[in-house]
Amino acid sequence: MRYAEWCIAAPTLEADIAAAAMGLDDIGHSRVLYGSLRELGTPDVVDEPGSYANVPYLDRPWTDWTAFVAANGVLDTGFTLMIEALAGGNVEVLRSRLKKMLQEERYHAMHGRSWMRESGAVTAIDQARRDAVVWFGPEGSDVDDLHGKGILSLGVRELRRRLDEQVGGSAESAAIDWKAWDPMRRRINPGGIDELTLNMLQGLAEKRYMPAGA
Amino acid sequence: MGFVRVHDEVREYEVFARKTRLEPLRQVGAVVAPDDELAMAYARATYDEERWVEMMIVPKAAVIQLWAPGEEA
Repeated sequence: MRYAEWCIAAPTLEADIAAAAMGLDDIGHSRVLYGSLRELGTPDVVDEPGSYANVPYLDRPWTDWTAFVAANGVLDTGFTLMIEALAGGNVEVLRSRLKKMLQEERYHAMHGRSWMRESGAVTAIDQARRDAVVWFGPEGSDVDDLHGKGILSLGVRELRRRLDEQVGGSAESAAIDWKAWDPMRRRINPGGIDELTLNMLQGLAEKRYMPAGA
Repeated sequence: MGFVRVHDEVREYEVFARKTRLEPLRQVGAVVAPDDELAMAYARATYDEERWVEMMIVPKAAVIQLWAPGEEA
């Protein structure tokens, strides 16, 4: 959704098109992941603000292109590493379904890396890196438990190492105070996604444009 | 030939693709980007609406022209 907000606001026409294409890719990836979860017997959650487990970086629309670049280069890479860990794990549904997703994410990574090389998005990159590490969770948490069972092929430490390797810099996990970490929403900061975006995600925004009685 | 837009320096790339192994590669468009990685991302985002079995990009500077329209072979 945040990618789509930039499909007419990126610095070049090509970047506009890429933002739209990557947004569409990620909607497709969400559909595959939700479909897989359902098939694996995960119950649906009530669609309400508190049930959204997005990283804080996505709470508000980005006001600067560097924020897009950092999300694309760092957060997307973090999500892709987790998809890689699922695709490399022992759950057959995920092993077979997530490969196309990884192929598409390869182009997101190229786009993010190239823009990161020249955009000078240092502050945004640090924030995105922190959110990615918090989303992986602390060592010894559910991710390491799933790694131990073979469901994930990578544990927290390896996820952080690969993030550092692909994005550059250090994940600085030592500076994170894990006491307030919410294992359900996978974040430390309170708050959540803005109301306007939430209305769009829930299909409420579209209803305003429908004629009465339609 | 380089020219300035948002990026300090960009290159033009020609995009080639084909739908089946039997048909030859044909030019489907072009992209402008500062490096190969962004050019690949742009080519895929811009021209992937069809079911290509193969896509590749070539820096325009790498193309050696033998003659142009109106010139003698």
